[in-house]
Amino acid sequence: MHARATFGQWGEDEACRHLESRDYKIICRNYRCRLGEIDIIACKNAEIVFVEVKTRKTLKFGIPAEAVTKTKQAKIHATALHYLQDNHEYYKNFSFDVIEIVVEGDKFRLNHIPHCF
Amino acid sequence: MYAKTFGETTCGINGEEIIVEVDISNGLPAFELVGLPDTSVRESRERVRAALKNSGYKFPMTRITVNLAPADFKKDGSGLDLPIAIGILCGSGQINAEAICDKVFVGELSLDGGIREVSGILPMIIKAKEAGRKEIFIPPGNAAEGELVDGIEVFAPESLTQLALHLEKEDMLAALSKRKMSIESNCVYNVDFSDVQGQLVAKRALEIAAAGGHNVRMVGAPGAGKTMLARRLPTILPPMTEEEALEVTKIYSIAGLLNRKQGLVLERPFRSPHHTISHSALIGGGSIPKPGEVTLSHNGVLFLDELPEFSRMALEVLRQPLEDGFVTISRVQATLTFPATFILVSAENPCPCGFYGETDGVHECSCRIGDIDRYHKKISGPLLDRIDIQIHVPRLEYNEMRADNRTECSADIRKRVIAARQLQLDRLQGTGLHCNAEMSRREIKKKCHMTAETEQLLQRAFVSLGLSARSHDRIIKVAQTIADLEHSDVINTFHLAEAIELRTISKG
Repeated sequence: MHARATFGQWGEDEACRHLESRDYKIICRNYRCRLGEIDIIACKNAEIVFVEVKTRKTLKFGIPAEAVTKTKQAKIHATALHYLQDNHEYYKNFSFDVIEIVVEGDKFRLNHIPHCF
Repeated sequence: MYAKTFGETTCGINGEEIIVEVDISNGLPAFELVGLPDTSVRESRERVRAALKNSGYKFPMTRITVNLAPADFKKDGSGLDLPIAIGILCGSGQINAEAICDKVFVGELSLDGGIREVSGILPMIIKAKEAGRKEIFIPPGNAAEGELVDGIEVFAPESLTQLALHLEKEDMLAALSKRKMSIESNCVYNVDFSDVQGQLVAKRALEIAAAGGHNVRMVGAPGAGKTMLARRLPTILPPMTEEEALEVTKIYSIAGLLNRKQGLVLERPFRSPHHTISHSALIGGGSIPKPGEVTLSHNGVLFLDELPEFSRMALEVLRQPLEDGFVTISRVQATLTFPATFILVSAENPCPCGFYGETDGVHECSCRIGDIDRYHKKISGPLLDRIDIQIHVPRLEYNEMRADNRTECSADIRKRVIAARQLQLDRLQGTGLHCNAEMSRREIKKKCHMTAETEQLLQRAFVSLGLSARSHDRIIKVAQTIADLEHSDVINTFHLAEAIELRTISKG
């Protein structure tokens, strides 16, 4: 795998670990359809959560959350809808979250933004 | 975090206070601007973002919502950049909320954090003062206007950093000192009435017009000196009173035509629009109405050269402001009333070729009767009825033109005009009017006194000339001005006769 892809993959692993520590159940990772991709689909208290993970090594080009543009949001929306139609499960509520991870030396900072679009 | 600041915008010729609310909450980075901003206000987000960054402050990378209240009218102008920036600084905890309470901010931001001038500052300061605000911060480029209003502390910070340091009480700015409004009576003009040879009748007519604020129409052959005379009218107009000067300054401040250094407009405006002007440019217009030429010539002179060349529509819209002294413009966005008290001066030729009625035996009018008729039909009777003084400006004789004797200079004429105006101001005290032309029927009845003979003359003229009720009043007003020029308490027959003659000369 490419170095950049591995780095992204690492970020998503960290995000999963974070979610699980908060009592989220991971349902699916890297759900793909022709409309796009969702990094993590998790569930907590009968609420389904679609998570986009952004990992960065530097803030030179803006903070990670800035990269979730309107176009990206629309893609995630469409993919989420596709997922729900594909899986006949019932959820009380749903949410779109962004998790941003910034690496600072040996450590990293994780910021979970719930219900953001 | 929530923060509230005050900004100002303009509506018509008045300021309007805008409450700028800023809410900074968690979420994806976004900058929402609500409350009917127009494009220049919506673009302010980019300027604010860069200005904050380049002034060394942090632009919060979370969800920012800015609301401009009251939300029901459209805000325009870039003056809201500064209150938005201050609101964001306050909402993100970079400056103290108490530091901005009861303070108003106006200014456009440049990307490096400097504060740029905007138009309409004077009415904004007046509004802020009326709303009971204690301090207002304006761009340094508008400082001259800030010195004119008493009762509110005005500051002119150079940049966002300087302003923030002041608000944090780290590096205090000094408030602008108030300037005593002084109406200079010796404005310097580069033209003078002594440049005009001969044309004694026209000069006398313009003197009367200046003294009483009457409208003038000049008819004459090309090159006779009509335009030259009209351009010299401002040199004999009396100086504005403080109140008048402030009104004019407000209008020019909003129109963005103010001389930045001078602050107060001291000279009476003289506007001479080209005859291709549209009717809405003349009386004002736009989706949010902007003042037109009649408002820009408020308390001054509106000169229409080549009157019949103006579009009929443009001329007809003048009727209402000529009579009322204000103009109300209704558009979808707003209905606004602008002041429009001005002296109308017009110049025209007697026919398309220009020589109709010349008696010098050299020039002969080459126009067909139909052409002349059509030429005159452009100017409607009701419009002419509103012009008190109508004179014929004849071509000069050679001897007259070459004569070396310099005629009276503007300063001397102006002295007489000022004396006559003073009499009028005294007489009209308490009515809020400034000159004879502004009198309504009630003031005419109360304040103008005629001898019995004069009354008789007026009665005869009314019948034989077929005067309208309006022209009857207007003749009395002109007669009153002539009496004022001669320091006479009553209007006697000479005064009235001259007034009647001035009104009817061009028709004969």
